[in-house]
Amino acid sequence: MLHAKLIGSISAMAMLSAPAALAQDIDWKAQLGEHSGKTLRVMTITDPFIDSIKAVKDGFTDVTGAKIEVDGYGYDALHEKELLACSQNDGSYDVMLIDGIWIGEFAEAGCLDPVEEKIAENPDLYAWDDFTPAAAGQASWEGQRVCLPVGIYYELMYYRTDLFEQAGRKVPETFEELKDAAAFFTNNKDFPDVYGYAMNNKRGAAAGQQWFEWIYSAGGKPWVSNDIGSAEPYKDQTPLFNSQESVDLVQLFRDMVAYGPPGVESFAWDERANAFAAGKLAMINDWSVRAQIANDPKQSQIAGKFKAALMPHKDGGKTITPVGGWVACVNTHGAQKDAAWDFLKWFASKPVHRDFVLAGGPPSRLSAMEDKDIQAKFPWTSVLLEGQKDSWAEVRPRHSIAFQLIDTVGAHVNKAIIGELSAKDAMDAANTDVTKLLQDNGQL
Amino acid sequence: MANIAMRAGAPQEAPRRAFIHSDRFQRTAFIAPTCIFLALLTIWPFIYSVYLSLHAVKLTAMKRAVFVGANNYINLLSDPLFLRAMVNTGMLAVTSITCEIVIAFVIAKAFVSLSHLKWLNGLRSLFMLPMMVTPLIVGMIFSYVFNPVLGIANYLLGGVGLGPVPWFGDTTAAMISILLINIWQWTPFMMLLIMAGLLSIRSDLYEAARVDGAKWHHVLTLLEIPSIKGIVLLGVILRIIDTLRFFDVVYVTTRGGPGDSTMVLTLYAYQQNFQFFQAGVGSAAAVIILVISMVITTFAVRLLRRIEND
Repeated sequence: MLHAKLIGSISAMAMLSAPAALAQDIDWKAQLGEHSGKTLRVMTITDPFIDSIKAVKDGFTDVTGAKIEVDGYGYDALHEKELLACSQNDGSYDVMLIDGIWIGEFAEAGCLDPVEEKIAENPDLYAWDDFTPAAAGQASWEGQRVCLPVGIYYELMYYRTDLFEQAGRKVPETFEELKDAAAFFTNNKDFPDVYGYAMNNKRGAAAGQQWFEWIYSAGGKPWVSNDIGSAEPYKDQTPLFNSQESVDLVQLFRDMVAYGPPGVESFAWDERANAFAAGKLAMINDWSVRAQIANDPKQSQIAGKFKAALMPHKDGGKTITPVGGWVACVNTHGAQKDAAWDFLKWFASKPVHRDFVLAGGPPSRLSAMEDKDIQAKFPWTSVLLEGQKDSWAEVRPRHSIAFQLIDTVGAHVNKAIIGELSAKDAMDAANTDVTKLLQDNGQL
Repeated sequence: MANIAMRAGAPQEAPRRAFIHSDRFQRTAFIAPTCIFLALLTIWPFIYSVYLSLHAVKLTAMKRAVFVGANNYINLLSDPLFLRAMVNTGMLAVTSITCEIVIAFVIAKAFVSLSHLKWLNGLRSLFMLPMMVTPLIVGMIFSYVFNPVLGIANYLLGGVGLGPVPWFGDTTAAMISILLINIWQWTPFMMLLIMAGLLSIRSDLYEAARVDGAKWHHVLTLLEIPSIKGIVLLGVILRIIDTLRFFDVVYVTTRGGPGDSTMVLTLYAYQQNFQFFQAGVGSAAAVIILVISMVITTFAVRLLRRIEND
């Protein structure tokens, strides 16, 4: 905790002392090379922010002459494609946006050129301390700054203001209040066709990530040495998936099924966000980037009718806002690394990041979160600013078997959610399987 | 000296020319490209898969492979998830193919009986559409159709006064949904084969049966089924191989869940290889799938030959 607070204080000080050179009038011609005739290929997720990258990318072409091609893939497909390609020395993509939790895996595969030296060459332009502490943590691995955290999400709870006002209810802050509110809106004749809450219950990564996102707010932690703010979170990875806090949390997931639409056991990110945007849910928790979907009148029936709040926490505890999202990295096998570094230097800079966020991208810098124009356009930004203060970069594992570990946990959590196993039995099994997985891969 | 050499070389030309023109050489020369092609694209990857399956190795760190002997196979065959995937795949194959044969026979019989109606030809072509769609797209279409909140399936059920069904949210419903999708897509294939079999039955045999006073079930059991069983078995072999490779629909819709209820062998192997990058375990799973395919196919081909000989 001390560590996190220290980083937060340093970030704030750095912001106050940010030099004027970081204003809108950066001389990009002087900062960037000439790359006419080159085409940089960027590989990223097809999350809503892909359109925001496309909206700003021509600014780089105007300065350097290099064209930017952005290719988007689904979550699993992107992981597979990026990791397979770069581990086989494929340099066809110059810039890769990877999930912060994949960073250990990509580092192990020798895919990434660390950004550390580049920052040292031009610390003012990179303004590392302006990134939120948890975002900076997501882009770092084993004490080294590896990538640039340009697409960072925080998980918030979203609730329908019209329904809550009509019901005269306060927004839930604790797990008990959450259950109570979800029960109230479900099968309530005053709120027809509305269900209380939908969670990420689908087998695998969806349910697994959900467990990690909630466990700290439930008063638990995933393994022994992963305390918030720990300098060595991976020192002792003895799993704690069957701790009492974990079992109680999974029981909460199971209980919440009753307040979701039929088939909520198979919901993942898209189903949850779409059902909320369709006006079928009173509340959800979701990554901040997806608030765009609910706020877009073309895609949503609830635009302007919802607000964000911090996720609920265990009674007597506090919310640890989950952090995730995308960090931009240079492919170590790319043939145009100079141009790729220039693109990242430009794209991650404060003014371009601001434009990117105003175009709908997720704010990853404190300066963007505090920006009044951004707050006015995307009202949940002020909640992000509040939530990032109590966040922790290692809320989900980020080592080389993180993907498999999360999937394994998700398979067992899902069994409890569908009632195939009790919460205790499911999490005992999860603990056993994860222990074996960690041992087999030399992590334990 | 040069003349001597030429003179000495001259007698060697004849046997060389004879060898080039020999049947043996020409056979070898014609078969060689295919053999090389097979060796490079089929046999070598298989051998490499077997090699990987004997190692603990991640696809992202191939240089750190450690020989573990048959450990990957032992672990797989004692992994409840892999065993569940085997059972699910077997159940999917048996149930799906059985339903496909029955439904396909009824439809094929209807098409054959009404073949004099010209407009039915268009309908028959339309009926083939599902099997022409890429399975991944089929999965995506049905993930929308069976979406519990926004899908048309529950909307239609609501229209007739029925409650919503958690198509992919309940273990039994999810397996039935997967079965329905599989049957929907591949019944046309089976129908095509059965229809070809039915059309190959000579009309005078039907006439003879009618003169002999045969009932419909006599025609079915004594004439039609014996006539089409060879082609149906061929269809069954192809569909079994298809089902062992069944992946896309499950990947898009359920990811093997809820619980482990729709986990199939190919999804298990895919996850190990391309999501967890555990190339050793993934290769062992792939080898096991291949062995199962070979055993079933060999058995079925022998059965097919026996039927043909009968």
